[in-house]
Amino acid sequence: MKNKKILIVDDEENIRILFKEELEDEGYAVDLASNGFEAIEKVKNNSYDLVVLDIKIPGIDGIQTLNEIKKINTNQPVILCSAYGEFRQDFSSWASDAYVVKSADTKELKQTIAKILTQNG
Amino acid sequence: MKTIQLLGEIIEISNSNLEINSRMQAILNIISHRMEFEEVLVFKLDKDKRLTCSYANEKSRLYPIVNKYRCHIGEGVIGTVAQKRVPQYFNHNDIPPRFGCIFFNELDDVMYNYRSFAFIPVSDDSFLYGVLVVISRSMEGIKDNDKILLAIIAREIGGLLKTNDLLINSKKRISELVTLSELGKILTTNLEPQTILKNTVFTIAKALNAVFASINIDWPIPKMECHRFVYGNLNGSLAEIVEDCEKQAIQQKKTITYEYYNDNNDLQVKKIYSLYSSPILTKNKAIGVLTIGFLKPGKNFYQNEDMLYITTTITNYIANGLENILLSTKLKEVIKELNETQKRVIEQEKFKSLGEMMANIAHEIKNPLVVIGGFTKRLAKKVNLSQTENRYANIIVSEVARLESILNDVLNYVKEPPPILDECNINACIEDILYLFTSDGSWEGIKITKDLDPSLPLILCDVQQMKQVFINMILNSFEAMNGKGEITIQTKNIADDENHPQIMISISDTGGGIDPTIIENIFNPFFTTKEKGTGLGLAISNKIVKNIGGRIEIENIVGKGVTFKIYLPVNKNKNNGEV
Ligand SMILES: Nc1ncnc2c1ncn2[C@@H]1O[C@H](COP(=O)(O)OP(=O)(O)OP(=O)(O)O)[C@@H](O)[C@H]1O
Ligand SMILES: [Mg+2]
Repeated sequence: MKNKKILIVDDEENIRILFKEELEDEGYAVDLASNGFEAIEKVKNNSYDLVVLDIKIPGIDGIQTLNEIKKINTNQPVILCSAYGEFRQDFSSWASDAYVVKSADTKELKQTIAKILTQNG
Repeated sequence: MKTIQLLGEIIEISNSNLEINSRMQAILNIISHRMEFEEVLVFKLDKDKRLTCSYANEKSRLYPIVNKYRCHIGEGVIGTVAQKRVPQYFNHNDIPPRFGCIFFNELDDVMYNYRSFAFIPVSDDSFLYGVLVVISRSMEGIKDNDKILLAIIAREIGGLLKTNDLLINSKKRISELVTLSELGKILTTNLEPQTILKNTVFTIAKALNAVFASINIDWPIPKMECHRFVYGNLNGSLAEIVEDCEKQAIQQKKTITYEYYNDNNDLQVKKIYSLYSSPILTKNKAIGVLTIGFLKPGKNFYQNEDMLYITTTITNYIANGLENILLSTKLKEVIKELNETQKRVIEQEKFKSLGEMMANIAHEIKNPLVVIGGFTKRLAKKVNLSQTENRYANIIVSEVARLESILNDVLNYVKEPPPILDECNINACIEDILYLFTSDGSWEGIKITKDLDPSLPLILCDVQQMKQVFINMILNSFEAMNGKGEITIQTKNIADDENHPQIMISISDTGGGIDPTIIENIFNPFFTTKEKGTGLGLAISNKIVKNIGGRIEIENIVGKGVTFKIYLPVNKNKNNGEV
């Protein structure tokens, strides 16, 4: 699990900080982006083992961002993470690898990340 | 002595409690018996100023013959006596007089033996009530004593007839008042108009002793096919006659009367009806006709003139009440419709903002909640907290978790599988929605064209969710057209594919279409080009349609407009019935 690099995309600063600290505690290297354009730029210029992407973000929406990221790197693992649980079932139709509903309890997020990272070696 | 005794008896009878007919009969019998007259008759002046033989002594042989005739004032002996109010006497030497309008030769058989005649006006100081006629076989003519006595008796009879007229009038008046007050009561109840009308005809028929009463309403009453309300028997040829009368009454705008001889059946029950039809007029528009029918001779004590007057009074009386009732029923309908519309508009607002509301709650409440809970946990983990402090932190964390789970329930709106699946009439569903939109003023500039396939089968879906799909799409079209343009909604039964029967609902607009560079994103949640848009409309619609095995296609003509086509599968096992 060590030395894995994760990009967190969320427009709320406190969420970014919370997730960053929680994941850093797990030993991940965490990078941050606050909107879709920034995320796409970062993916282009860096290599991440995983992207955690909010759906509702300013500028271009989460699904567009997801598509752009996949255009850059088809194999880039992406977890959709939203406060909104409505589309929990639809993540695969959007080429994302998982869908996590945002929660103060970060256990599900951490488990999902760990699972995807092990799958991808 | 005999005379005084006779007068005493007559006065006693006339003051008794007996019925007028019995009192008259008794008086005339006494005259006949004590004064030895074979015939004692009273010709009564009726409302039409005609004289009719109304009362006679019991043994009278003339009565059955003369009671058929009515004579005018001034006509014949009776008419002349009535006119001049001077008695006339005849004996066998006189030329046989005309007996009223009746010629003696008609009465030859009976009159043959009669020799003395007296015709005495029945009147008081101001009014004439009739003529008293006495006849005997005596060859001596009427004796002078008897003439005086008869004059006194005639006055007494006059008094009797007068009080009786008054009594009948007041009875009539009372009965009218009772009828009107009954009707008033009925017309001000809160009952259904049907019930009120039925009660009205019942009361009228009962109060007037009519064989039937009918009201034919010429006014649209909601939820009611039959517009005629009848109490009593009204069928066959009589019904046809009544319809004719109604037409005439409406045409002439006044109460009309008609005598109808019903001799269709066996002659034994040959019936004569007098009918009165009166238009129910409000501000000169007839809202219906009241018709009352009597059998002749009937039990009612009303004369023709009275009946015309009474029927008119009753119709005038009920006209306003009925109009109010009919108007208020209409008003009630309108209010009900308004309420429904209002409810629907509120629902529409709810539908429209539901997506927004959910997203807003998710982000406005849930994100801070996650932050609070998340950092509290971190706090508890990082710092060495005392037992108490640790307990506090745990309380915060668990309360946050509780709030989160409540939010998750609320936020997960389009559940899978759809909660209430039912056979749904898509056409009706669309009509409902269009009704709700078109009743909104801001839709004035939008022309809506419907082309709904009547052979559309029922579709298994959640009606509320389907409505939400249509509302989202129609609202998108509306929003794309800036208040002016055309929306076309079509439904079609595409039954040709045996294995996959389906229906298609298309919604087209003239809103300029969608920029091709963004078209692939429009189903993304939170994709919006609108300042106040949430971007959930199409995402959720798409989800709903997919949930029941359908799909959405887009035909986009840039610069012109968009057509959204929704394909829904027809559940073959469950429904064969057409809409
Ligand atoms: N009939 C249409 N004509 C033109 N553009 C359309 C039409 N329907 C949808 N769109 C485009 O698709 C986008 C997404 O529509 P969608 O209904 O999902 O969200 P929205 O209307 O923006 O917001 P809301 O959540 O309030 O519905 C719209 O912002 C608009 O750009
Ligand atoms: Mg919309």
